[in-house]
Amino acid sequence: MPIDAILKSIEATRFATAIRDSIWMFPIIESVHVIGFTLVVGTIAIIDLRLLGLASVARSFERMWSDILKWTWAAFAVTVLTGLIMFTTNAQIYYHNPFFRTKMVLLLLAGINMGAFEVTAGRTVQSWGNRRSAPPAGKAVAVLSLALWIAIIFMGRIIGFTTHPGKLAPPTPGVNYDDFLQSPSSGGNPGATSPAPPAAPGKK
Amino acid sequence: MNQFAHWLTRTPPSHAFRVQESWLVPGIQSIHIVGIAIVMGSLLMIVLRILGWAGGDQTLRETSDRFGPWLVGGLCLQLVTGLVLIITEPVRELVNFSFWTKMICVAIGAALSGVFLARVPDDEQQGESLAHQRSVRSLAVIAFVVFLSIIVLGRLIAYDHIWGSWSPATEGY
Repeated sequence: MPIDAILKSIEATRFATAIRDSIWMFPIIESVHVIGFTLVVGTIAIIDLRLLGLASVARSFERMWSDILKWTWAAFAVTVLTGLIMFTTNAQIYYHNPFFRTKMVLLLLAGINMGAFEVTAGRTVQSWGNRRSAPPAGKAVAVLSLALWIAIIFMGRIIGFTTHPGKLAPPTPGVNYDDFLQSPSSGGNPGATSPAPPAAPGKK
Repeated sequence: MNQFAHWLTRTPPSHAFRVQESWLVPGIQSIHIVGIAIVMGSLLMIVLRILGWAGGDQTLRETSDRFGPWLVGGLCLQLVTGLVLIITEPVRELVNFSFWTKMICVAIGAALSGVFLARVPDDEQQGESLAHQRSVRSLAVIAFVVFLSIIVLGRLIAYDHIWGSWSPATEGY
């Protein structure tokens, strides 16, 4: 398949190899990814709650929107960049992971949802921007936005539990906790035997 | 701590949570991340307001009234979901350099936030002069960096071996 050949060549680049071979690069890039998307979701939630009339109700929506959204976009840029870097390290595994694919579809839907706001409630913002909440279309967009972003976080987290170098691992690694409890002092590595570590592909 | 972690692993709630582990650990971790998003969004708004980079249409008091409770509430959610994660995987969390370093940062971050929120004056003029104090602005930036460190250290719990001999989890190597 041509797509697999492309993904393989992405993984083979010196850039992706360097990150895979490093003990600390992938964890740090992943941490920056988390910083980026927590700021994205946190700031979007502030706007969604304003649309729903649940918070910041006394504040002009337009003022708030222009005040906050530039920070959302800046954080989103960081998130996309770090996400792309992580993708290159194990492109084939991510591409074939069902949760990764679901996450990409949900991201697309979140984008469409934002576009839907622009062509509905966003057009009439002058008429409701100083009211407590947005018209029904704006509220629907806000509810969808909150649901989509929470689902995206869950998909992102579960990718770490279901990707493994070279194969798709089952969500539950078959670790019997009792095995290592019986010999905690036998020089074992409790950290390594802990069940369901987020086995990100960068982690060896 | 190692013994305590192993004892906790044997307790019924810990066992019960692990039985559900296929969805419970990623599920609780996801709620924990949603909590960080609430904390970071709220903290960002307060810090940007102190620095004068956003929220200029709101007084410092209005900003702290709007986002302070969400910051504190988000931290409480973190405490609850974090405790469930510890009970579920005591050894992964408690025998872990990143975890304890993170806890120190959490204590510092929570203390800085709490002291600031308790001191925001009702008066607009006093609020402005507080936000213009160099020490307050520096502490706001420091608090933000502390919370960024909390996120990084939280993620590094899964990669504690990168600390080498500092990590108790890698003693076996």
